[in-house]
Amino acid sequence: MVEQVNSFAIKTKNVSVHYGNKMAIDDVTINFTKNDVTSLIGPSGCGKSTFLRCLNRMNDVIDSCKVQGEFLLNGVTDIYGDSIQVETLREKIGMVFQKPNPFPKSIFENVAYGPKIHGLASTQSELNDIVMESLNRAGLYEEVKDRMDDIATGLSGGQQQRLCIARAIAIRPEIILMDEPCSALDPIATARIEELINELKENYTIIIVTHSMSQASRISQRTAFFHLGKLIEHGDTSKIFTKPDKEQTNDYITGRFG
Amino acid sequence: MIYFALLILVIISYLFYYIGKKRALNLKFNGNIKLSSQPDYFGYYVVLMALIPALLMWFGLLLFKGNFQEMFVMSPILFPDISTWSDGKLGLILNKLNNLSVIVNLPLDDLTNGEKSILNMASENELTAAKNLANFDKIYGWSNLTLFIILPIILGFLATRSISGKLNAQPIVEKIITYIIKGSSYIAILITIGIFLSLVFEAINFFRYVNPVDFFFSTGWNPNRAFVVDASEGFDKDDLENAFGFIPLLTGTLLIATVAMIVAIPLGLMSAIYLAEYASKRVRDIAKPIIEILAGIPTVVYGFFAALSLAPFIKDVGESVGLPVSAESALAAGLAMGVMIIPFVSSLSDDVIKAVPQSLRDGSYALGATRSETIKKVILPAALAGIMGSFLLAVSRAIGETMIVVMAASLRANLTFNPLEPATTITTQIVTSLIGDVEFDNPKTLVAFALGLTLFLMTLLLNILAITIVKKYREKYE
Repeated sequence: MVEQVNSFAIKTKNVSVHYGNKMAIDDVTINFTKNDVTSLIGPSGCGKSTFLRCLNRMNDVIDSCKVQGEFLLNGVTDIYGDSIQVETLREKIGMVFQKPNPFPKSIFENVAYGPKIHGLASTQSELNDIVMESLNRAGLYEEVKDRMDDIATGLSGGQQQRLCIARAIAIRPEIILMDEPCSALDPIATARIEELINELKENYTIIIVTHSMSQASRISQRTAFFHLGKLIEHGDTSKIFTKPDKEQTNDYITGRFG
Repeated sequence: MIYFALLILVIISYLFYYIGKKRALNLKFNGNIKLSSQPDYFGYYVVLMALIPALLMWFGLLLFKGNFQEMFVMSPILFPDISTWSDGKLGLILNKLNNLSVIVNLPLDDLTNGEKSILNMASENELTAAKNLANFDKIYGWSNLTLFIILPIILGFLATRSISGKLNAQPIVEKIITYIIKGSSYIAILITIGIFLSLVFEAINFFRYVNPVDFFFSTGWNPNRAFVVDASEGFDKDDLENAFGFIPLLTGTLLIATVAMIVAIPLGLMSAIYLAEYASKRVRDIAKPIIEILAGIPTVVYGFFAALSLAPFIKDVGESVGLPVSAESALAAGLAMGVMIIPFVSSLSDDVIKAVPQSLRDGSYALGATRSETIKKVILPAALAGIMGSFLLAVSRAIGETMIVVMAASLRANLTFNPLEPATTITTQIVTSLIGDVEFDNPKTLVAFALGLTLFLMTLLLNILAITIVKKYREKYE
């Protein structure tokens, strides 16, 4: 039983989200297995991004957004409970956004930002190590090692997105949320990021929202299909893409709607 | 007369627009000719062709009216010694002839006694010249009218006739319009240059009396000493040595501006941060306009607020703790000025903070940063250029502000950095020197231009600095 609890990075139960009077998520229950890549797919406006942003409480800042339901981190910590501060939570659950959003600071400062805030390094050399290691894991170190003090916004789009991933893993999260991380990138940069996601799943649980079904099938072990705020089907990627249980899922992945 | 002509001109333009457009449409539908521009452009084409030469010539006539008058009237035949006259005398005579020309052709019965005596006093040659002048004015008036009405009509018809399938009106019209808008912007620039040059020339006049070194580096400001200067006689330069020392005015200006910035920068910046990052939309929608009202209060109101409420209050408070406070302290003027420029800082800073993309905030929050960490480490650095720009704009406003300091600051130049003492500013002294007896051959008056020029250069420098900083950071952050 204990094994069972611990194998889930995040468990959610009966999640509903409203923007004002409009329902965005309707009674979704889904568990995310550890060290897997889970893809959230579905047509635009199906609520998959909203759901993703609930997991690290990024919806908190939107006044009209009301989140209900149960969210458990590692099966025990209530994500919306009083026992955890939102900053501590986000230290454990990192996020990469659709559009690369490096800070207008140097490459080094971008990666060092999180570790500095959370006090992860006591000396400058420790900080240097964290930055170097994170950039290395994001596969960016070789490209930028000679210009760590250059402004990060001068990097290419793909490099910027890998920098954002490096920035996210620099605070050593357990889970990384990715909200369509490749939609603003060209195919080569996309392939690079997909490769990276594949490497990262050794150490992290990754939940990724994607519009590309081929991407979902390439990179993820589990896939969840959302439609109109409801979770239609959730299971192994191979199963979802070959013989889904639900008619709707089949229609979507074969391109009959969406 | 001129209004009448202008009205006719407007009517003519309207008519020609329709005539031109009509002819183009006619060619298109009845003549089956393919036009190379939209019909509207042919209308504009005719109007521009009809009006522009007329307006240019009218402007030329206006500009050279005086020269023509002189050429026509002031001939050496009538005035043999004209080449020896000074400009002043020439002007006087021309003035006299102008007056004569109004009455010289009237019947004697219609004249008043005064006018008759003017006629009697004039010499024969002057009367002839006055008659010539009257004729000239008549011709000038008629030629103006011709220009305004007949020339446009002729040109308009010629332009209308020239409309054909081959004429491409659009590029011509667009080119002319481009010249017109280009000209408008040059006019604004030329006026600025003109103002600057007038300052420079009057300042040069001033520096004929006062050594620039004395002006810029001397510490005594006693402009009343300049009363010893008499235009007709010489004066002793030593008298003016310590009369126009700019230094105490500069320190006074900087002192008051510093007090103002000490008030405005923290209050303005913090309210900007509150409005942009913490306030709910409802609070922001109400609070921002209210803060901006501060900038709309007439400065004279701030002036008497500073002079009548703030200054006595500061004096009382100071004296209750045993500090000697002047009734016209720099502190009072500076505080009032600081309140006035709060909105310059807050409103502009709020805009630039709001302009920082939401994605940067999200990025920071997603890394587990708190709101204040995000503001300090991400948002403010990203908005720094704009914030610095707003500071410099506020400083430049503070240095140039006049009414508050005229009312609340002292007139006495006082070389001090103590805000509890009285101090005067550059603008206050400019106002003082141009009030009352104004003589443009006395340094006491002329010093206004030297001060104005210095002030202008100071604010110009600040603006250049602001632009450079903003540019530098923009490059860095883009």
